[in-house]
Amino acid sequence: MSAPMMIADGKAIELRAGGTDLSERRRSGVSRGSLIDIAPTPDMTGIDCSANGAARIGALVTIDRIANDPRIAAAYPGLAAAAGGLATPQIRRVATIGGNLAQHSRCWYYRNPHTACLKKHGSICSARGGNHLYGVIFDLGPCVAPHPSTMAAALLAYDARIDTDRRADLTIAQLLGDGANGAVDNALEPGETITRVELPPPTLGERALYKRAISRASAEWPLVEIVARAVVADGSLRLLRLAAGGVAPVPLRLAAAEAAAQGAAATGATIARVVEQSTAGAKPLAMTAYKLDLLKGLVRDLMERLLA
Amino acid sequence: MTQCRFNGVSRELPESPDATLIDVIRDREGLTGAKLVCGAGVCGACTVLLDGAPVASCLLPAKAAAGRSVVTIEGIGAGALHPVQKAFMALDALQCGFCTPGFIVESVAFHDEWRAKKGAAVPTREEIAAALSGHLCRCGAYDNILRAVAEACAGRFDGGDAARSPRVEARDKVAGAAKYTVDIRHDRQFEGVVFRSRIAHAKIEALDFAEALAIPGVAAAISLLGEDRTVRYVGQQIAAVAAADRETALRACAAIKVQYRELPPVVGMDAARMPTAPEIFAGSRKSAGNASEGMAMPTPWRRNVRGPSSAFSLKAKKARNWIAAAREAGDPLLFEATFRTGAQQHCSLEPHAAVARFDGDRLTVHVSTQAVFELKKLIAKRFKLDPSHVRVIATHVGGGFGSKATLGIETVAAIELARAAKAPVRVVFDRHEELSVAGYRPGAEMNIALLADRDGRLKALSLAAHGDTGASVNSTIAALARLIYPAEAKDLSDFDVVSNLPPGAPFRAPGGPPMAFALEQAVDEAALRLKTDPIALRKRWDDNPNRRRLYEWAQGLSAWRNAAPPASKTGRYRRGVGVAAGYWLYLWQPGSKVQLSVESGRIVVASAAQDIGTGSRTVLANTIAREFELEPHEVEVRIGDSSLPEGPGSGGSRTTASLVPPALLAAQKLKQAVQQRTRREPQAGSNAPWREMIAACPDFSVSSERPEDARTLAPGVRSPLGEVGLMGHIFGWMMRRFSHIAIGAGAPSSVQVVEVEVDTLLGHVRVLEVHTGIAVGKLAAPALAQSQASGAIVQGVGYALYEGREVDLQTGDVLTAGMEDYRLPGVADTPLIDLHFDEGGFDHVLGGGVGIGEVATVPTAAAIANAVRNATGVRPKEIPLRPDRMLRLLSEGART
Repeated sequence: MSAPMMIADGKAIELRAGGTDLSERRRSGVSRGSLIDIAPTPDMTGIDCSANGAARIGALVTIDRIANDPRIAAAYPGLAAAAGGLATPQIRRVATIGGNLAQHSRCWYYRNPHTACLKKHGSICSARGGNHLYGVIFDLGPCVAPHPSTMAAALLAYDARIDTDRRADLTIAQLLGDGANGAVDNALEPGETITRVELPPPTLGERALYKRAISRASAEWPLVEIVARAVVADGSLRLLRLAAGGVAPVPLRLAAAEAAAQGAAATGATIARVVEQSTAGAKPLAMTAYKLDLLKGLVRDLMERLLA
Repeated sequence: MTQCRFNGVSRELPESPDATLIDVIRDREGLTGAKLVCGAGVCGACTVLLDGAPVASCLLPAKAAAGRSVVTIEGIGAGALHPVQKAFMALDALQCGFCTPGFIVESVAFHDEWRAKKGAAVPTREEIAAALSGHLCRCGAYDNILRAVAEACAGRFDGGDAARSPRVEARDKVAGAAKYTVDIRHDRQFEGVVFRSRIAHAKIEALDFAEALAIPGVAAAISLLGEDRTVRYVGQQIAAVAAADRETALRACAAIKVQYRELPPVVGMDAARMPTAPEIFAGSRKSAGNASEGMAMPTPWRRNVRGPSSAFSLKAKKARNWIAAAREAGDPLLFEATFRTGAQQHCSLEPHAAVARFDGDRLTVHVSTQAVFELKKLIAKRFKLDPSHVRVIATHVGGGFGSKATLGIETVAAIELARAAKAPVRVVFDRHEELSVAGYRPGAEMNIALLADRDGRLKALSLAAHGDTGASVNSTIAALARLIYPAEAKDLSDFDVVSNLPPGAPFRAPGGPPMAFALEQAVDEAALRLKTDPIALRKRWDDNPNRRRLYEWAQGLSAWRNAAPPASKTGRYRRGVGVAAGYWLYLWQPGSKVQLSVESGRIVVASAAQDIGTGSRTVLANTIAREFELEPHEVEVRIGDSSLPEGPGSGGSRTTASLVPPALLAAQKLKQAVQQRTRREPQAGSNAPWREMIAACPDFSVSSERPEDARTLAPGVRSPLGEVGLMGHIFGWMMRRFSHIAIGAGAPSSVQVVEVEVDTLLGHVRVLEVHTGIAVGKLAAPALAQSQASGAIVQGVGYALYEGREVDLQTGDVLTAGMEDYRLPGVADTPLIDLHFDEGGFDHVLGGGVGIGEVATVPTAAAIANAVRNATGVRPKEIPLRPDRMLRLLSEGART
C-alpha cells in the first residue's frame, strides 16, 4: 500500500503493507522517499462475516486468504476467483488487499527509473505518444495506463466500500478517482491508510465469474479482465454487473452493457446486445484497438457461462 | 522483535527499512542457494519458506521476517535429501540449475501439503503447474519438473536410497550448493556498476568522476568509452565505478558528470531505412557488434543498411527472372509473402557477471561465460597480459544461449575496476541491463518467393532478409535457405539495418528459427496449392538422408495421420496440426583437447570447456565411463577453468562434437598405459577389470586433441561447404581460420509435428503437443539430450507466441526490460512433448554424434505457425503471435 506524501525535499513518503509492489520500485529507484510500515491492528488483519452475509475484510488481509476463505468463496465468488487469479502464489501469500488497491501503475514508462511519466512528476505521458501496447481503450485522462488493481475491479462489481484511517464508506470510484488526474494512482490523501473493505450482502441467487485475457496460461498482468455478477430468475436477467480492468485508468463498470441486460430475457440475443454495448464510449489508442475485441470476447465468454 | 530464525539459527535482522530478505540471506548470511533474478517477484528464483509458506524473498522486506522462521534451500534436505530433490535429480528436472533452488522450495511445500491432505493421490499437470506458476525456467526444464513433482507426490522417492541422476552435478544444484559467478565473494570485494547512456545517440564531450570519487566507500571509477567517444544506444556503457556496496556504487554513478553532445537518433529498422536518415556508423563501422557466431565477411554498406550478403545464392538472376515471369503470369504456384519475427532476448537467469581479482600480475576472473578458454585469450590480448597469468573460472553457469560467448562489458569493467581499486571487484548486471543491453536475436523482415513447377518440383526460391540489428551487424538468415530443399535457382540475400538500439548477439541457432518461419510456411503453402501432404512434399523436395528418415517417422505419427481436415474447423476453439523441418550446421572446434588422468586410483577427465546447463560435464563423464565400464559418477570431471587443457566454447552446438572424439582417443591411450603400468592384473573373471586396474595404477595422465573427421562419408551425407561450391569453401576456410570453428559434413536435423488450439474469441494460442524427431547421431548423454530438446521446444514456443521486445521508437528505450513485460513461457504453457531420436547419420565423426542445442529449436515456431494455419485457415505472418495479432489475423481472414 503506498500513498505518496509529499514532503519538503520533493521526495514522497510511502506506506508499506506487504511490499510486493513497493520493493521493486525501491530497488529500481523509482521510489526514493521514506517508508512507513503500516502497523497491523486486529481490525486490519481479519475477515468478519455477519449473519446477513455482509463481510468486512481488513486491509492487511492477504490476497491468498481472500482466495481461499470458504465464506468469501460462497458469498462473493467473483472476488475469490479474482484474488486466486492475480499474480503468482508467492505474491498472493504476501500481498494485501489494501496494498492491491493502492498499488502503483505497471506502465513500463513509470517503472523505468529514467523515462518521463506523469506519475513521476513529469509533464507528459510518454506512453501516449510512444509505445502503449498495453494501454487503455477508455481514454479518460492524460495517463493511458490501465489501473493495475484486480481487486478494485472485483470490489467495484460488488459495490464494496472502503474505510481509511480518515474517511469511511468510500466507493471504489471515490478511492481511485475518475481517471482525470494522470499524476496519481488513487485519491488517497498523503499518509492516508486504507483500513478495511466492506462488502454488502450478496443478492439472492446470484452467480459470479472472473476471467482475464492474457497471452500465456497464467501469471501475467491482464490485457483485459472482467468480474461479472448475474441474477437470472424466471428466464430473465434481474441483475447484471460487469466490472472491467485493463481498459481504463480506473476499473470501469460497463454501464451501457448492464443497462442493455436489465430485465431482458436470458437469451442469445440479449448476450449479443450486452456484448455490443460493452465497448460503448470506448476510444482506443493507436495500438490498443485489439482490447475492444478482447473486452467483447470476455463479456461474451462470461455471459454465456452465467446464462448457461 | 528484530530476530529471525534462518534454517533454525536465530539471527538479528538489519535495521534498514529497504533491506529485502534476499539481501540478508545472500549477502549477510552467505546462503547463496536462493538467487536474485528478476527482482520483481516474477521468476521465483529467490523463493524461500517463511513460516513454511513459499514467498519471493526479493520483494519481502527483511523486517517482515521478524519473529518468524525462514528456511532456504540450504535448510531443505540438509541431512537427507527431500523426496522432491531426489525426484528432480532422477528425472533431470533441471539444466543450468539457476532456477532450481526456487523450484525445489516451492515444490517441497506443495508436496508436503499435498500428501498431508491427499495422501497417495497424484496431482495433475494442471495442479502442479498452478502451484509452480510463480517460477520461470529459461532452459525450459518444465516437462521434467512436472513429472518430478508428480512422482515425488506419488511416493516414488520416499525410500532412503542414494539419489541418482543422469546429470553428474545434479546433487549440488538441487541442494543449492552449486556456486555460480554471482555467488563468488572474496575478502574486501567491491561492487562494480556500469554507468550507461541515457541518450540513444550522442558524443561524450566530457566525463568527470571527481564528485563520484569523493563519495565515501567509492574505490574506483573508469571510462568505458570507445575511441570515437560516441554512444549509439540507450544504455551503452560510458563508465563504471566500484564501491563498498551496490547502493554506494549507484550513488556514485548518479554523481558522474557527463556532457553529451546529442546527435540525431535513428531508432528501428523503418526509420533507419528512410533515405533521409542520418548514418549511424559513418566512418566507424568496425565498432558495430556481431549478431552471429561466425566472423562478419566483408560486405558493402549503403548508409544504415549493410548488404546484400548473397554469397550463398545459386543462379540468382535466373531465380529473379523466373519469379518475375510467374508473378506476371499470375502463376498460382508462386507464393510470395512478407514474414516478420520479433527480437528474442536470451534472458539467462544468471545475469552477465564477472568477479576479477589481481594477485600481483596474475589475474583470476570468475565469469558467467560460455567460453572459458577463448575468454582467457581475449582478456590477455585486451589487457596486454601474459596468457599464462590469466585464469578464467566458470564452475557453474546459469544459462547463456549465445549471449555469453565473448568478452563482455561486465568482464571488462570488473577487470579494469579491480586494477584501479587494487581489490577484487564484482560486476553483476541487473535485470534491466540484462533485458536491454545484453544481446538479443534481432527481429527480421523476410520477403520470400517460392515457385514450384507444374510437376510439383521446387523451381526457384527467393529470400531477402532484413535484420533489425541495432548497433550490430551480421544477421544471417537468408543464406541458411541454401542448404535445404535444393532448387534450380536461389536468390538469397541478407541485410543488416543498423540503428540506435542495443546490439544483437548470437542466440541459439541465430538465423535458423526466422529462416524456418518464412521458408517452412512457404513450403506449407506450396503443399496446399499442390494439394499434396506437407510431409510428402518435403520428402520429394528434401534429399537429406537424416531428414528423410525423420519424415518417415513423422508420417507414422497418429497425430499427423488422424489430423482433421481444415474444412471441419468451426466454432470458438479450433485445433490444427502443422509440420516443419529444420537443420543446423555441424560445427566443431579444432584444437580442443581432453586430458585423462589417473589420480589416487580414480579417473579424472579434464578440459577447459564449461557447462552452461547443456550437460558437457555429463557428456565427458558418460563417454569415459562407458569406455572403462564404470558408472559416470566414478569419473571425476574438471571443466570450467581456463588453466585446464584447451577446450571448446559452448556455442554453435559444438561442445559435444569437440569433446567426445578427443575423449575417446585419450581413453584409448589411457587404456594402453594403464595396462602397462598397473601393478597387478585384474582378478580372473572380474566383472570390473578397469575399475580394479585403475585403482591399482600409479598417477599419470594422457591428453588427446580433436582429430579430423573421417573422409569417407555414408551415401547421401555431404559437406555443406561443398554444396555451396567455391564460396562455401572460402567461407569454411575463413570460419576455421578466424573463428576457430570447423564446419563438418552432415546436417543435424529436426522435424516437428505440432498440434495447437486457437481460442478464436480471445486470440489465445495454446500448443497442445509437440512431436520432435531429431537426428544428431549417437547421443553421448541420452537423458540430457532429451532435456535439452524439450527445453529448446519451450523456447521455440516462447519465440512463437509470447516473447517480444518492445522499444520506444523515439527515445530508443527498451521498454520490456523487466520479466513481467518480457514474457518467458511458464510451466503451464508447456505442451506435451514427445521426443524421437534417430541416432544415425554421423558415422564419420568419432563417437558417431554431434551437438543438439540449436537444431532442436529451429523448426518450432514455423511448425506452430503451420498448425495455426491448419486450425484457422489464416497464415501467421508475424511473431510473437500474441492475442492482439491473432485477433487481427482472424478478422482479416474473415474479411477476405
